[in-house]
Amino acid sequence: MSAPAPPVKRFDDGSQRKGDEERRGFLYFTPQKRRASLYEELTVDTQPSVTRHLTGGWLLSFSDGRGTHSLGSTALRVKDWFDWRDPAGLWERPFYQQAAQAAREQDAAVAVAHSEGLFSRFTEGWKAFLRDSVQLPAFYEYGLWRALCGASRPALSDTITHAIVLEAAMIQRQAQDLVVYAMDLEPEIGPCSTEEAKKRFLEEEGWQPVRALVEHLHAVADWNERVLAANLCIEPLVGTLLRREMLLIPASANGDSVTPVMIGAAQREWHWVRDWTAELVRFCVEDEEFGEQNREIIAEWAEKWNAEAEVAAEAVAKEIERVPHTRLTAEALEHVRRERDELQSALQRQEVAA
Amino acid sequence: MSTARRRSVTKTHERIGQLGWEPTHHQPVTNYPTRYKFPAKAKDPMKQIMREYLPMQLEKDERMYGGFDAAVRANMADKTERRWLEVLKPFVHTTTYIEGCAGRVMSMLMDTVPNHELLNGYHVQFLDELRHIGMQQSLARWYTKNAPEPEGWAMGAKYYTGSPLTKAGYNMGTNTIVGDPVHAGLTMMGVLETAFTNIAFVALPDVAVRNGDFTLPTTYSSAQSDEARHISNGYATLMTLLQEDSNIPLIQQDLAAGWWSTHAFIDPFAGVLMEYFSKNRSDTESYLDKWNRWVNDDYYRSYIEQLGKLGLEMDPAVFLDARERIENGLIHQTAIFAFAIWPLAYWRFDGLNEEDFEWFEARYPGWYDEYGPLWEAFNALKDPEEQTLLLSGFLENAPPMCWSCMMNCLGDEGPLHRVLDGRTRFYCSDQCMKNDVNYPGRYTGDRIFFDKYHGWNLADVIRDIGFIHPDGKTLVGQPHIDDDNRLWTIDDIEACGLEIISPNVRAAEEMGLPNGNWHDPEAPDGAVVTTEMSYVHTSIGGDGLETGPGVIAAGANGNGRRNVAEVIR
Repeated sequence: MSAPAPPVKRFDDGSQRKGDEERRGFLYFTPQKRRASLYEELTVDTQPSVTRHLTGGWLLSFSDGRGTHSLGSTALRVKDWFDWRDPAGLWERPFYQQAAQAAREQDAAVAVAHSEGLFSRFTEGWKAFLRDSVQLPAFYEYGLWRALCGASRPALSDTITHAIVLEAAMIQRQAQDLVVYAMDLEPEIGPCSTEEAKKRFLEEEGWQPVRALVEHLHAVADWNERVLAANLCIEPLVGTLLRREMLLIPASANGDSVTPVMIGAAQREWHWVRDWTAELVRFCVEDEEFGEQNREIIAEWAEKWNAEAEVAAEAVAKEIERVPHTRLTAEALEHVRRERDELQSALQRQEVAA
Repeated sequence: MSTARRRSVTKTHERIGQLGWEPTHHQPVTNYPTRYKFPAKAKDPMKQIMREYLPMQLEKDERMYGGFDAAVRANMADKTERRWLEVLKPFVHTTTYIEGCAGRVMSMLMDTVPNHELLNGYHVQFLDELRHIGMQQSLARWYTKNAPEPEGWAMGAKYYTGSPLTKAGYNMGTNTIVGDPVHAGLTMMGVLETAFTNIAFVALPDVAVRNGDFTLPTTYSSAQSDEARHISNGYATLMTLLQEDSNIPLIQQDLAAGWWSTHAFIDPFAGVLMEYFSKNRSDTESYLDKWNRWVNDDYYRSYIEQLGKLGLEMDPAVFLDARERIENGLIHQTAIFAFAIWPLAYWRFDGLNEEDFEWFEARYPGWYDEYGPLWEAFNALKDPEEQTLLLSGFLENAPPMCWSCMMNCLGDEGPLHRVLDGRTRFYCSDQCMKNDVNYPGRYTGDRIFFDKYHGWNLADVIRDIGFIHPDGKTLVGQPHIDDDNRLWTIDDIEACGLEIISPNVRAAEEMGLPNGNWHDPEAPDGAVVTTEMSYVHTSIGGDGLETGPGVIAAGANGNGRRNVAEVIR
């Protein structure tokens, strides 16, 4: 995601430049590859740590004795959290480029649909579904966002904090997009009340497992557990059901070319989250000293959160059954479970051949 | 072309505002408990919607990064005053760290504050801060690649917390991410951003432009355009808190503490940068003039004093004392100390000349009589052939370092002090002593730079902090910027034979007080263990494990985490 900068020409040869050209980079960390990437240079070591260059211990501590950052903020241990890298190398500039592009695409899709009369081609059943239900996933996203935001402060390296914050920003935008889309739809298909959607999310029995799931996520102290429960267990199952199975797949079958623009962007972002989460799990379970212990802890978390996510997924599946022209829910569930299991495959202990 | 219809920001915001709800299945858990009470109603000050926010930020990014490319083509680094370029190393590192703190404290608040109306603004701020980290790291990278001298930049993150001059800045910033999240948040939003970003991101870039530097103003002006939002977040937080009477004494205590911990570093740091590292002397304003405008008028009188109408009675003394300290020479005294300890810095210093003397004398009558001889001495000793350092004899008379803010205890009345566990802590001011006493166990670690090195040879200190070029000899810090003159090496320092005397150890002895040394060479992190409960409980454990409240057990054995000290390299 982080593109190399093009070469630039100077008006003169920079004759005052002194020093060894090899010193013209950030040399205080070990790059993952032979040369430091732009992402690494802009991210690594922006969070000083006693495990890095800060000597003499933490200069400020909490009233309960925790240091500025505490290894005890998570049950997972690794040699050095600062060695972790987001495989896509996402930092602020490409993030804004991609997120702003998604915002523009959605505005453009709505504008074209309006000018070309595409909303009138939506099936009546789909219109009714959108009026009642298009905003419901936004409450799920909001709950997820809330829990993830709090996980970014205790995270034990700058690269991990970056990934969590950017994920939270994407989820927040996705939640807001659904509400904004509902507002855009109102002149075309009739009232899409946020208040009514909220009432359903808070009161309807079918949505309570989803609500309980994201509320539970915010009731966890361990930042790694929050992140991995969200990205390893909840999002692959519940998030993908809500986005892909409830909104993306049935949209085209219902004559809707607009909703897929929004959900397509959200799924692209989920793929980024999925990839860095897989890398975080790999990083933890392959740690030379603590890998096996980490594998056990994450597997324990996965067992607990998979069970809760399954309950929520079953409830969402029942909602999806009511969506016109969707595929069989058993098929959808089987698909998301397979993807989740694949994502969690790193937790299986590898059999070593004798 | 089909164009998107305009949406009402208010209506959209009102709809988005309905997304939050009060949890009933599970109650949220926070890692950052607060003493404050939050009323049911709060207000989102910014009405920020991601759909509008993201393209706006992208546009600002594109302009800024485009400016970087243009500045390379125009070879702007060579057209910028060298004296100024050198001091940007500690400046950019300090602000980048503070940006990270500003983001992280938003996360603390989001985990603790129950009012959904405030959360959206906090979240947008965290994203802004990530943007500022990227921008300012990019600026550091730009200077690394284009400025005449890459040393100092190349090892910047390592050097930043190694120099006593910048470690105090790290300490100041950390005040905004440790402790009660509301205290931390008020310090960041209600002090650092509201009072001081105008100094650091507006007044200072003006000095940069005068010195031919266009990349720094391009970067910080773009950051400052986000600060209005962050200031509004702070104001909305205050307005929400003020609805509960029990919060008022807490705000009064925490805001005063945050004000002072910020002032104690930012004012001498920014003041020295602007006044002592500007080659261009076209600026008619002194730092005090700028402070009067940006801090006294725009913050203290327009913001803090007005809070009185809402029931918050801030003691004016803490604000007036800050101004008085600047008036009485805080910046000038800090400047000469900073220049005297140049071997412990990772940038180069350019001694003052006649034009500089005239500028200071015109703004601070009597300045030359008081400080001129020291500056003449600095210039006379910049050649390593002299084999003498201004620092020789300096530490014998230097005031002790303050336990809380880690800056010099300046002023005529002698340093304040207190004795804890048979050792003496010194304080630069009454408020710095309060900042330690009122928050026991907050200030920890091996804090006083010279305590560790008491009795060491200066050359060994430099080797220990590693401020040496890859050739193994040349120092990174230098007392001149002239590449045609010989640079100081570690051998030159060795030849000076300077033994470090900790001003704190010396001052305690002179005053007949108990031991002033807080360094313990046997401790894993080098810090004396105190009876301040919090620190003992988790930061130092003889078994190498971090245990105590707030610590999550690891694995089946139920042991706590490794102690932070165990992994110090």
